[in-house]
Amino acid sequence: MSDVVFLVTLLGAAAGAGVLGAILGLGGGILLVPILTLFFGVSLPYAMGASIVSVIATSCGAAAGHLTSGLANIRLGLFLALFTVTGALAGASLVGVVPPRVLQALFGLALGYSAFTTVRQLHVEVAESLTADPLAQRFGLDGVYHDQLLDRDVAYRAVRVRAGAAVMFGAGLLSGLLGIGSGAFKVLAMDTFMRLPMKVSTATSNFMIGLTAAASAGVYFGRGDIHPVIATPVALGVLVGSYGGTRLIARLRNATVRKLFLPIVVYLAISMLLHGLGVLK
Amino acid sequence: MNVERATSRILLLGGSLAVALMLVGLVALEVHAARTAHPLDVAHVVENREAGRSIGVFVSLPQIARALGRWPPDPVAVITAGIVVLLATPATALVVALIAFERLGDHAYAAICAGLLVALVCGFLLNVAG
Repeated sequence: MSDVVFLVTLLGAAAGAGVLGAILGLGGGILLVPILTLFFGVSLPYAMGASIVSVIATSCGAAAGHLTSGLANIRLGLFLALFTVTGALAGASLVGVVPPRVLQALFGLALGYSAFTTVRQLHVEVAESLTADPLAQRFGLDGVYHDQLLDRDVAYRAVRVRAGAAVMFGAGLLSGLLGIGSGAFKVLAMDTFMRLPMKVSTATSNFMIGLTAAASAGVYFGRGDIHPVIATPVALGVLVGSYGGTRLIARLRNATVRKLFLPIVVYLAISMLLHGLGVLK
Repeated sequence: MNVERATSRILLLGGSLAVALMLVGLVALEVHAARTAHPLDVAHVVENREAGRSIGVFVSLPQIARALGRWPPDPVAVITAGIVVLLATPATALVVALIAFERLGDHAYAAICAGLLVALVCGFLLNVAG
């Protein structure tokens, strides 16, 4: 493969990952790492380094658009990021103490439950008649966004904030313990537990994943895992793709975004359970 | 000051500056490789870490600064400077959000931003130590 073909193909793949990342609230690692290792023959350390670049580029491109459009709730993102980052710190310090497989099995079960709940509320556009959560009111977590498709302002409430924060802490714990991104868990905590509109959940997750990734980015850089020739097309493609994705999500229903998200949850649930049970190494 | 707009602007600026540096560096690297009749052969270079090091991977800020200080600047150092800008952008956005919340008088969220910044620094140090 010539240099130009390699760079252009990688750019295209990264742009696709950026579009999906912006819509689904993921950093793109779940898509990019297999693409880089299986199709481009990139070694795993470089693929992981490219993945961290992808997470931050998705966050920059998508969150920039989502914050301006009002889909990302900055207060909600910062409030919940406290629990994710604290969880990640706790997880990193527990490496070697807590068996990761136990946590993987637990999270596999939690994801299975989330997948079930997601199927049940697959067609719900915006949850109605929710009781106000005092914690959400105190920290200003409720919000409103203009839905282009419905052509109206959609007011939403965050409920079960404590449960959402606990899931965020757990997601951070897993992230710190296993060195994986946790965009999918963040989206589920907001959508399933806090009953926020799916688009608000994914947009706010896009803002949060950049903060979580920033904490570990220095390590990848210091180890030399961020290869300039791979990171450049990945960053460029993901940044452009994710910014474009923010335009696309405005034209999608919450239910459509949830349907796109469901296969990711099912895949993660099965993968986590199999890892937890020792079937997959 | 609108917190969302200020934060969004920093994320977009940081991302755009990072990509601009990376692109300039990558084009310069390709031109240099063509002139010296030593094609990059990226498909081979990326296959493993040891081969990848043959084009030089910078792993610290002083290394990048030294390489940028020479004339002409090392194209790989220019790309790496872009990567550093990208990696630093979320933390910079957090600093801007902290200032914006403080100006709005929203001390609770200014404190949350400060707490997150401390946690990011702790995370960085913990990762480096670990």
